[in-house]
Amino acid sequence: MFEKFSHEARTAVTASQEIARDAATRRIDTRHLVVALTRAHGPARDALETSGVDVAALSATALADLRSGGLDADALAGIGIDLEAVRREADRTFGAHALERAGRRPGGHIPFAPEAKKALELALREAIRLKQKRIDGGHLLLGILRADCAGRALLVDAGVDIDSLRTVIEDRRRAA
Amino acid sequence: MVDGMADRELVESAAGDDPAVGLRAVRSLRELADRLESLQVTRARQLGWSWQDVADALGVSKQAVHKKHGRST
Repeated sequence: MFEKFSHEARTAVTASQEIARDAATRRIDTRHLVVALTRAHGPARDALETSGVDVAALSATALADLRSGGLDADALAGIGIDLEAVRREADRTFGAHALERAGRRPGGHIPFAPEAKKALELALREAIRLKQKRIDGGHLLLGILRADCAGRALLVDAGVDIDSLRTVIEDRRRAA
Repeated sequence: MVDGMADRELVESAAGDDPAVGLRAVRSLRELADRLESLQVTRARQLGWSWQDVADALGVSKQAVHKKHGRST
């Protein structure tokens, strides 16, 4: 499947690996892909900007979300755990940013989450549906919009009109 | 102060009532426990603890603890 990816799409997939490493996440999900797509010049970023999305703000929100990892301070506070206090104690015993370091994999390959694999599959199907031979960032974005995934939720939370974004991407595909 | 307490109870009962928040808390707790385990095991090993000592303290087998942490320490 990857041999059909455009340069932009390959770059995005590779970048999502680096984003996962930087943010110390254990898996790559569609939020990583969305951030990667906002960084690469190509149809995906063009479509987002045409739809009036502030890509820098979207990327920053997503990264903050990724960096907080599976540690939800509000949810923990609900059961009486003060995450900041735990973080302070951990820093004191194990050195600065101990909890963040501990969330990081020792290196090597970070696997894709099932939802991200699904979105990549759907991207392939979108390319076939639109009768295009190569899968570019636009198709990846369409795949993310089709999937029930974190990346789609991220866009919805940012106030993106999913249907109109889809139309923008598809119109550009047809024009291309 | 009475108002403050009432507010807090409201917040707490709301959080306790919503399974989504409760489940996120459980997930976060697992993640937190995993990270603390990794930090503690690394430190214990640096202080010269054997894998058997670490396993006994965690209440798991030596094989399990070695499989989970053997590479990172």
